[in-house]
Amino acid sequence: MMDTRKSRNPYMTPLENDAYLWDRSGEPDPEIQHLETLLGKFRHDSPTPVFPQIVPERPSAVFPRRLRLFAALATAAVGLAALVVTFLPFRTKPTSSRVAGWDVSDVQGTPRIGRKTISGKQGVSHLGIGQMLETDSQSRANLQAEDTGKIEVDPGTRLRLLSMDSGSKRIALDRGTIHAFIWAPPGQFVVDTPSAVTVDLGCAYTLRVDDSGAGLVRTSLGWVGFKLSGHESFIPAGAACATRPKVGPGTPYFEDSSPQFRSALARFDFEDTTPQQRASDVTIILREARNRDALTLWHLLARVDDQQRVLVYDRLSRFVPPPAAVTKEGILRLDQPMLDLWWNELGFDDISVWRHWERSWAGTATQVREK
Amino acid sequence: MARSGDRGDLLAAGLRPRPRRQPSALEISEDAACVARARVGDRAAFGQLYEQYARMVHGVLLAKVPVGDVDDLVQDVFIRALRRLSTLRENASFGAWLAAIARNVAHDYHRRSAPVEPLPDDASEQEISCGTPGENQDCPSAEILQALMSLSESYRETLILRLVEGMTGPEIAARTGMTHGSVRVNLCRGMEQLRAKLSPGPSRVEPEAEKS
Repeated sequence: MMDTRKSRNPYMTPLENDAYLWDRSGEPDPEIQHLETLLGKFRHDSPTPVFPQIVPERPSAVFPRRLRLFAALATAAVGLAALVVTFLPFRTKPTSSRVAGWDVSDVQGTPRIGRKTISGKQGVSHLGIGQMLETDSQSRANLQAEDTGKIEVDPGTRLRLLSMDSGSKRIALDRGTIHAFIWAPPGQFVVDTPSAVTVDLGCAYTLRVDDSGAGLVRTSLGWVGFKLSGHESFIPAGAACATRPKVGPGTPYFEDSSPQFRSALARFDFEDTTPQQRASDVTIILREARNRDALTLWHLLARVDDQQRVLVYDRLSRFVPPPAAVTKEGILRLDQPMLDLWWNELGFDDISVWRHWERSWAGTATQVREK
Repeated sequence: MARSGDRGDLLAAGLRPRPRRQPSALEISEDAACVARARVGDRAAFGQLYEQYARMVHGVLLAKVPVGDVDDLVQDVFIRALRRLSTLRENASFGAWLAAIARNVAHDYHRRSAPVEPLPDDASEQEISCGTPGENQDCPSAEILQALMSLSESYRETLILRLVEGMTGPEIAARTGMTHGSVRVNLCRGMEQLRAKLSPGPSRVEPEAEKS
């Protein structure tokens, strides 16, 4: 085992001390160099493989790019008009969109899309915008969209596809369980539940909603945002967060926290208790908190009363000292930029991703849809 | 994963890894141009992207799957990216998009390997081999990598990109799409945790000892 104790300049900030760690500038750090040397044996060193032929998008020799697009659109419009004229008299009912949507595959049992039952023998089905997928207690299915991700739908689930725009892919989970693995850019994949809006921030997670509308998200990779009317929670990998109708997201917690910690947090978040009981629960939470429970404490800052906020501030400061630009007074008055700066010190993902998403959605995602 | 070849020997002999330049804005825009060329079937351009991004993908995977399987999965990630290249909306977002694919491939790996077991947050449960069987007892590299794997996910991934793959902080940010601030915080705090784990004797911080 290496001895990593070394003298570090006490007059420099941690970041200045770690200039070599950051970009190899400044005085070489022997400890980092030693680690680089030892760990370098695991480094990638495979040669570039021969990749298969890519099918090229062939440029047209006749039309330049813009004219090509115009010609394609004109051809499509003429074709569409001919189809409408031909088939309009025979139309009996509206058809759902077959363009935007999710492919439904790996079907087990007999799930339904709308009123139509599907089965594994049919191969890949399609869930279009506005359509509902429902699995009974014996059924399950996978959804996949090439530019978005994959969703495994467990038995006893009902979900609806709300939108599939280029910048927004949105479903409503009325009840049941989904496992989402999302590769769309952070903030694009959104799930409405009866009690909160779940926003993918680059991750894999499981979301469960029971018949009462209560939900639980458990993140296995990356992080997830939970939001309802200004009440927001961030759930990194290894953490979970419950949500309740009319209350919204609770406080996220790591699932390896102590049972006392989790019980007190559940009472604090969702039970209609006396002020004395709430104070007692906060005391238990602070007592039981470990370093990594800074996640929970940071969220509690905005959820406790003024008196308790001082206690939460003090405890959180012991685990993760606030950065230089953050003052106690600022945190106690819930200054949002300061809270965000402190969040970025906790070691999870940068909160600016979430703030960017909030601005781009401008409140449209915070409205929970009716069941 | 056995890495006992020439490179490992040189490193073990105390030669420092070759310093790498940080990617400039021009290089990043050159990457975007490579993506554009790869989209229309230029295999050489995709090969260039592989050379630029393979270390990042390798590091992201190494943070999540056993070391012996990483090389194969690197290939899987690039093949998957190649197939889906037409779905990438912004050429300049290639790095972040590729990192997301790598994380997804790692997740699929765990699901295939143990379909009923949840993905452990603590990847230190992985068996890390230093090289040939039986070599582990006296292998500080494997021991340090094991400690690295016990850090939380964001620290683990960023520190692996820095210490294993030899990327600088600005390079990690440019290749993964993370902000400089985020990378710097992950490096700083991750390194603190790694020091605590590697420090001998009673100064080591155990979870229970964190409670006051």
